[in-house]
Amino acid sequence: MNIDEIFDNTSFTIDREPHIVLDYAVCSSCDNRGCVNSCPARCYTWSQEEQKMTFVHDGCLECGTCYVVCQRDAFTRWRYPRGGFGVAYRMT
Amino acid sequence: MSTHYQAIVIGAGPAGSSAALTMARAGLDVALVERGAYPGEKNMFGGILHRMTSIEEVLPDFWTRAPLERHIAKKGTTFMTGEASFHVQHETVNFDRAPYNGYTVFRPRFDRWLAEEAVAAGATLITRATVDDLVRTDGRIAGVTIVGRSGQLNAPVVIAADGVLSFTAKKAGLRQPKFDAGQMAVGVKALFDMPREVIDDRFGLARDQGFANEFVGCTGGVRGGGFLYTNYDSLSLGLVFHLASLRTSGKTPYDLLNQFMEQPQVAKLLRGGRLQEYSAHLIPEGGYHMVPELFGNGILVAGDAAALCNATGVNLEGINLASHSGILAGNTVIEAHQRQDFSTTTLKRYKERLDLSWVMKDLKGFRNAPKMLHIERIYNEYPELVCSMMEHLYRIDGTPKTSIPKMILREVRAKVGLKHAISDALTAWRAL
Repeated sequence: MNIDEIFDNTSFTIDREPHIVLDYAVCSSCDNRGCVNSCPARCYTWSQEEQKMTFVHDGCLECGTCYVVCQRDAFTRWRYPRGGFGVAYRMT
Repeated sequence: MSTHYQAIVIGAGPAGSSAALTMARAGLDVALVERGAYPGEKNMFGGILHRMTSIEEVLPDFWTRAPLERHIAKKGTTFMTGEASFHVQHETVNFDRAPYNGYTVFRPRFDRWLAEEAVAAGATLITRATVDDLVRTDGRIAGVTIVGRSGQLNAPVVIAADGVLSFTAKKAGLRQPKFDAGQMAVGVKALFDMPREVIDDRFGLARDQGFANEFVGCTGGVRGGGFLYTNYDSLSLGLVFHLASLRTSGKTPYDLLNQFMEQPQVAKLLRGGRLQEYSAHLIPEGGYHMVPELFGNGILVAGDAAALCNATGVNLEGINLASHSGILAGNTVIEAHQRQDFSTTTLKRYKERLDLSWVMKDLKGFRNAPKMLHIERIYNEYPELVCSMMEHLYRIDGTPKTSIPKMILREVRAKVGLKHAISDALTAWRAL
């Protein structure tokens, strides 16, 4: 199966305000970056070329994997989205 | 919206709604605060709603009223590699008659229903409300502030049933400020539409019978396992990974899920299914050693928030523990109102109740089970060993056969190593 299809089936109500905020300087100096491969929603991308982390909160499944695997306390904010926003499972 | 209640429950999952239902039944004015647009909107699980004897006491007709899917009459375990699989299965008529041993359910439907039962008993459900912070008065918890719907709710006691990450327990200083990735797992799941008759035929089921299967060897060497559950007209298929192992593996949950779906024997089970939804959730798998402080002045912690999850490797239990802890927390708050004391003097009774119950007895009894799950070879070498031994046993190719004990010894030596095999067997024996 094409991986993109996996993500297309989940519904979200996206908040403009991100519920997770990173200090990217910390990510750049991190030698682990387990968040990139561990996040089940592909929210983290590391660019080797630019030595830069990108995080997008849109498809976040609010599972907390990044919160647990981060060894550098890179989050300046990690909270659940405001009530009514974020992932909306229908039947899982 | 009123702002004063006799108790606030954070999170309308199985623990929170069970607590709210218990307290509302006793006449308490309860606020049940949920961040989703409806209870269950944020919830997923891998599996089975096991029998819940304590909720049956509160709702005697629970099993006929709850929105359940199939009852689990058949359970299997599969050891697999990229090409092969070895499958064992158990089925008994005793699991095919009421009271059933477990069901598959959809959380957005089940959790919503349970919360509505609490509302029918008199609880106030406040959805779209994420708890932001705790309100403290004279050194004890006296309410919460919420965002989404914004405002403040006050009560002499708060039950934190806000799930595995429980920021409430953290803010109250009851849980460790930093989680140990070795005690946490992430589950990912894909839900496939499939006609009911196809599921019945494919898995050998009749009427409302359901099938549950666990898989070992399907996680690309990452510590973890796979699962497959039958709903009425859909299949739930997923993987669970221990976070410490996933982090260092460099592998992604969705690529491994995709590989799992494409493994030839799994692909046959999924054939014709249409992917409907992908979801993920954390599981507190640390067991007894991970349980936080369960009470403080004006606060109790229940369900996943209290790490009440029993992942022994045989049964994966969580909702039943959550619901029971919610009921015990509810009963303790009822007692606190009778005594008009919300300090730890009365609230510590919750821990006493929990310690005496099967919830803590099971967690304590299986406290070393997580250690067994840390034997790395379970996830690759042993499934390969089993599949390769079976292939040798069944293969007929015109060459003379080795005696079976000799063949087993040779395979164990080649795939695992004798020393490892003996030490792993000892670890497993001690753990269980």
